[in-house]
Amino acid sequence: MPVRQSLVLVTAAVTLLAATLLSLALGSTTIALADIFDVLPVIGEKDLDNPIYQIVNDLRIPRTVSAIVVGAALSVAGALLQGALANPLASPDIIGVTAGAGFGAMLLLLAIPDSVALVPISALFFGLVAAAMVFSVAWAGRGGGGVARLVLAGIAVSAIFTAGTTMLMAAYPDRVSSAVFFIAGYLPYDGWSTLSQVWPYAAVGGVMAILLIRPLDRLALGDDVAQSLGARPRAIRLQAAVAAALLAAAAAAMAGLLGFLGLVVPHVVRLAGGTSSHRFVVPASAVAGAALLLLADTFARRIAAPMDLPVGPFMVVLGVPLFLWLLRKAI
Amino acid sequence: MSAATNGEPLLDVSGLRVEIGGVEILHHADMTLHRGELLAVVGPNGAGKSTMVRAASGLTRPSDGVIRWSGTPLRKLSSRQLAKHRAFVPQRPAVPVGIAVHEAVMIGRSPHIGAFRRAGASDRAAADVALARADAADLRDRQLSTLSGGELQRVQLAVGLAQDAPVLIADEPTSALDLGATATMARRLRALADDGLAVLLVVHDLALAAAVADRVVVMADGRTVADGPPREVLDQRRLAEIWHVDAELHADESGRTALRVSWLDEPPASFPEDAASGAPDPPTL
Repeated sequence: MPVRQSLVLVTAAVTLLAATLLSLALGSTTIALADIFDVLPVIGEKDLDNPIYQIVNDLRIPRTVSAIVVGAALSVAGALLQGALANPLASPDIIGVTAGAGFGAMLLLLAIPDSVALVPISALFFGLVAAAMVFSVAWAGRGGGGVARLVLAGIAVSAIFTAGTTMLMAAYPDRVSSAVFFIAGYLPYDGWSTLSQVWPYAAVGGVMAILLIRPLDRLALGDDVAQSLGARPRAIRLQAAVAAALLAAAAAAMAGLLGFLGLVVPHVVRLAGGTSSHRFVVPASAVAGAALLLLADTFARRIAAPMDLPVGPFMVVLGVPLFLWLLRKAI
Repeated sequence: MSAATNGEPLLDVSGLRVEIGGVEILHHADMTLHRGELLAVVGPNGAGKSTMVRAASGLTRPSDGVIRWSGTPLRKLSSRQLAKHRAFVPQRPAVPVGIAVHEAVMIGRSPHIGAFRRAGASDRAAADVALARADAADLRDRQLSTLSGGELQRVQLAVGLAQDAPVLIADEPTSALDLGATATMARRLRALADDGLAVLLVVHDLALAAAVADRVVVMADGRTVADGPPREVLDQRRLAEIWHVDAELHADESGRTALRVSWLDEPPASFPEDAASGAPDPPTL
């Protein structure tokens, strides 16, 4: 791997490490790094009567891990879709996952608030249902698997779920405020509860993403060349879209609607690394996305402590200036 | 120019039919291709040239007919096995931003690299050989998005050669090139055939086809209508019948070819051999 790309990866990894330490140290209470290092060796043991241990073990480690998983999942989902569809505007929104997950969450938050604990599962379920609807239209028949049909099917299916969400908000206007955090993107303090439910989906999507790196590089040279090399473009696109749907639906279940990450992070790493090779873009997107979301979440927790703010706007504030700076240099 | 057409054909196509969107584009096409042979497929727009070579390459599904690669029916070959029989160089290559030439050529090696194996020294050496054979070694570290049309076509040829298949199929590789880049590509393709590769070339330029090809397959209205050496196949009558022009192909002993076209005249309604003598005139080539 060329020096420039190695440098980008190392920078992203160091940023992620620093963000991890900040995330463990900062919140409504500041914990000294020395105290954190003291309790890290005994993490996982039960009934330790030490408040620092309880904060780190019960709250901050699960939240930090969740932010890393969500940031990596959304960024990799965006990298897969942008590569598979050869479209720089592709993100998890394009395959209906975001609209479906939004509807799934709103259904419970607004219409069945007694079942609020099931919001992540509902978001995951409807996110995957929406993606399945898009794929069933986009890959049906002999001419299926084309980029245009997938994008149009995604827009149409998203419109259905967005309409459903709007109707729910119109029907229960007094409860909309409870859904603001989900729409803006947030990481709740719910320990390992959500992560333990949705991690298998993210894990399968992640493994698929690794296996898709070489096929996506073949696809970058065009469908004809990919076929000449023994690849099947329609199958690669479907596999990439399924992997992205699993990753994005798992992320939405954990952190609400954070569409920005999936769109922008792959572009940031491409511009910084000077290559579109998926061997670099996929792992670098994972690390950079995790670092960006974790930093933003630490700000969101800290800036109005003890009140938690939604992480979505902070992520935009941190990520967009970097993106615009790179864009100006590159084009 | 050499054409070792003995032995089993590397590619044998017979009775090929292709439907696209319910419309039959190709009605009946036959073709054979041997090692060391450069075969040019010519014909007017819409004749089915690209459709035929795409179907033969496994890129478009045929509705009927037989395609055999080294004797094995196409339908019995997996896409990975097929990649070791032929390489396809498309008419309009994709130009991804942020991919260097050597990265693209290494992607061309992928049929030889297992899913869980990294490219090794032999793959890097094969990629360098492919770049040299395509006359593109000087472009190795350039980005694809910075190449001219002629340079890009040489790189696409290198990607195809890196595949190390015995047959190279090029779909109108010179259609967007200037005169010099076209001549460079023609020399490369001829040299590859002389080195033993079988080259299948779809081309519009009949003078170019006559100069480089061992054999020409003429297509019209979705059918193959002639197959043979250029100087036997591309005579004045056929140019008038198929392309509807009054034109003659000329060739001299040094290999120069030219298509002399009477641009503003209708094609002749009759030819000298139609006269009472009954003896056909010799071809103009």
